[in-house]
Amino acid sequence: MNKIMYLEFERCIGCRSCQAACRECGDHDAKERNYVEYVDFMESRQTYPMLCMQCKDPACARVCPANAIQITEEGVVLSAMEEKCIGCRNCTFGCPFGIPKFDFEENKMYKCDMCYDRSKYDIAPMCASVCPSDAIRFIDFDEMQQLRRKRSQMNLVEGKKPQEGNKWEYVPEFFGVYTE
Amino acid sequence: MSQYIVKEGVKNLQKPGEKLITTHCCYCGMQCGMHIRVNEKTGKVVGVEPRYDWPVTRGKMCPKGVTAYQTVEHDERILTPLIKKNGEFVKATWKEALDLIEENFKRIQKESGRDALSVFGGVSMTNEKCYLVGKYARVGLGTRFIDYNGRFCMSSAAGGFLKTLGTDRGSTLPWPELEHTDCFFIAGSNTAECHPTSIQWLWRAKDKGAKLIVADPRETPTARVADVHLDLKPGTDSALANGMLHLLIKNGYVDYDYVNERCNNFEELKKTVEKFTPEYTSKITGVSVGKIVKAAHIYGLSQKSVVMFARGVEQQSKGVDNVSLYTSMALLKGQIGRFASGVATFTGQGNGQGGREHGQKADLLPGYRKLTDPEAVKYVSKVWGIDPSEMPKPGVSAYEMFDEIQKGKIRGMHVICSNPAVSAPNLEHIWNGFRKLDFLVVSDFFLSETAEFADVVLPATTWAEDEGTTTNLEGRVIRIRKVREPLGESKPDWEIVSLIAERMGKGKYFPYKNAEEVFEEFRLATKGGKADYYGITWDRIDKEDGVFWPCPSDDHPGTPTMFIDQFGTPDGKANLPCVEWKEAGETPTKEYPLFLTTGRVVFHYLSGAQTRRVKFLMEQCPEPFAEMHPSLASQYGLEDGDLVKLITPRSHMLVKTKLTKATRRDTVFVPYHWGKELAVNQLTNPCLDPISRMPEFKVCALKIEKYK
Repeated sequence: MNKIMYLEFERCIGCRSCQAACRECGDHDAKERNYVEYVDFMESRQTYPMLCMQCKDPACARVCPANAIQITEEGVVLSAMEEKCIGCRNCTFGCPFGIPKFDFEENKMYKCDMCYDRSKYDIAPMCASVCPSDAIRFIDFDEMQQLRRKRSQMNLVEGKKPQEGNKWEYVPEFFGVYTE
Repeated sequence: MSQYIVKEGVKNLQKPGEKLITTHCCYCGMQCGMHIRVNEKTGKVVGVEPRYDWPVTRGKMCPKGVTAYQTVEHDERILTPLIKKNGEFVKATWKEALDLIEENFKRIQKESGRDALSVFGGVSMTNEKCYLVGKYARVGLGTRFIDYNGRFCMSSAAGGFLKTLGTDRGSTLPWPELEHTDCFFIAGSNTAECHPTSIQWLWRAKDKGAKLIVADPRETPTARVADVHLDLKPGTDSALANGMLHLLIKNGYVDYDYVNERCNNFEELKKTVEKFTPEYTSKITGVSVGKIVKAAHIYGLSQKSVVMFARGVEQQSKGVDNVSLYTSMALLKGQIGRFASGVATFTGQGNGQGGREHGQKADLLPGYRKLTDPEAVKYVSKVWGIDPSEMPKPGVSAYEMFDEIQKGKIRGMHVICSNPAVSAPNLEHIWNGFRKLDFLVVSDFFLSETAEFADVVLPATTWAEDEGTTTNLEGRVIRIRKVREPLGESKPDWEIVSLIAERMGKGKYFPYKNAEEVFEEFRLATKGGKADYYGITWDRIDKEDGVFWPCPSDDHPGTPTMFIDQFGTPDGKANLPCVEWKEAGETPTKEYPLFLTTGRVVFHYLSGAQTRRVKFLMEQCPEPFAEMHPSLASQYGLEDGDLVKLITPRSHMLVKTKLTKATRRDTVFVPYHWGKELAVNQLTNPCLDPISRMPEFKVCALKIEKYK
């Protein structure tokens, strides 16, 4: 799998289709693992999606005393293994992005696994499949690089120039897993 | 015929023990492509899989679409006929229900004449069903009173297009072309919430540098990403459009060759818009002069542009005028009939396009034929096998049927696929009408607010339990597939109306064994009409990714782009409108100082009868709210989440506030998807457009009070 989950926050329309779709993934027990939030509804309707960053060296797995959080050979960080998870919630505190969720009834953690049952066959995860505005995409590493170059190019066409303090506006956010 | 259709090289996840059935969503006019997952052993619906290779939506779905399958086997489905006894519904057999309907329908017609019965249809169902509802009313019951919920949805767009272009097809171009468009002028449409999967096309174009202009009182998720947001006062669209036309002419953005050759009335239009200077327009609309001028330049300078609109401009007492004027913006620039350019309306209901073409409207026969045209009556009578003299005359519009009930002219009604007890304006009048009716039959699969008034409720199937076709918002005829057998004793609507027709002694006109037989007759009925479906077959739809009407013969390729050479008017030329400024039916006064406007949220569809029963959607948006600017709220001492009393000259209601600066300071917005005491349509104004008879849902005067 040489694919990237590519996010463009600006495109998010707040429809929460990604969350509805997350529940539909076969391995997700009808519980969503992603987030859509308003930046500040009082000021604007801008929303943004948040997914697991699939870190190379994930804090959630590191802080797990039971070694319950496994990483696949492609680099996908999975939910805690049911038989190993002791319900200590370390992972939820450890994750710098606030991603892992905790099921208090079942006493176990669950999180985004990039719909591993789909993505292992190179089929897009449910959230990226349905996102109406392409705010979430499942694309090749090369396509991601191209999109990043394209974005800078469009800014130049419009005569915009990055300045100190707003450079981040010129590069869309991305993350993902890919084999070297 | 294959049930699972996929193009080469496209991968779907297919789980062992499951099959995929290719179909489309049941909700809005986007008709997003999807595969429904079915358990092979039990035949039960288990989920949804994106249809990546459907060219219009490419696997995208909104949250309603993702969860649509959950309504099919929902716990609250009505599975047997219900008869009301002493105010309570009790389960009944089909025979008992049909006996009771036959007895009452015959009694009412005997006592008060054929027209004492009426049919209230809907367009969230297939072409086959919509077509047959029209035939059911006119042949089965023999009444002239038939109209449908599209009257509250698409009628102004239809009226405006017919007046201006001569043919009413929602989009003059196929939507995959939108990616090549340079400029979108979108008026009165929050497409990001109401037709979410359309947004991908706007972004595709935007990625190439396209510009977006949005006219809306609220800074919606659509307006938020616009290059210019024209934040107009509700009900001032005709002034804004006139102002834009003024600037297009003044700045020389008119394609004179196109206008001279293909349009009538240009000089008259020029004269009318002369006074709509940016300053005058700004005074009426409340939009700053700078924004108006900027929008006109962006729109005027772009080579390929599409003007799009939706209920925001259409659900007004000037809906037809608004549509004509916005359409003229495209005409002056010579855009209609060209590549990646034109005009489009966002169809609200799944089959809002097809459903309005085939005879559910009070004055229309299949194929967009006029009931007042003797030739049309003759042709359709021949297809139906009746004498032309038996064809009922035109009836009245949806809302006006309730006036007829009050007058005692309509005594019985059959509501099919609609929930006017939530979606009609001035609801108390509607509720009183239902109470006054001698006999009410409702076909539905959930006990909707309308069904609660019924004497007999007939269990209809959902969209996933029958075959058929719909026509999406482009005018593309597409295929809906049967995913599972009908649940319980429910029956598809075409079968229900056939059964009643049989009881009324008209069985020989309704001999259908399946939906395809209805389709074959329906094709023939449309032959030679404006909306000609004769060349379309179910087979062709699969092979060609849908077929665009008009398609008059088997070897005709269909018509993706309309009006390439000429318009649908008698002389082939478009008619430019001349519209003077006129206020909305109700404007703010000293007593009612604010605007009330209504609309949708992304999580619900129409009256909410379906979406309010889906867990995910209710978690996201459980109740209506009054969205207002914090500066307005502070004048009344209201904070976010406080209960506020909304009062209009018709009624009042209590809702919680939701504060945001992304809206006008003089306008309160309330979504309309709830019934009874939560229905904002208790407050809305039934002032009708003189041509389309569309009620003014989008503008009325309001006062608010803090609830203590």
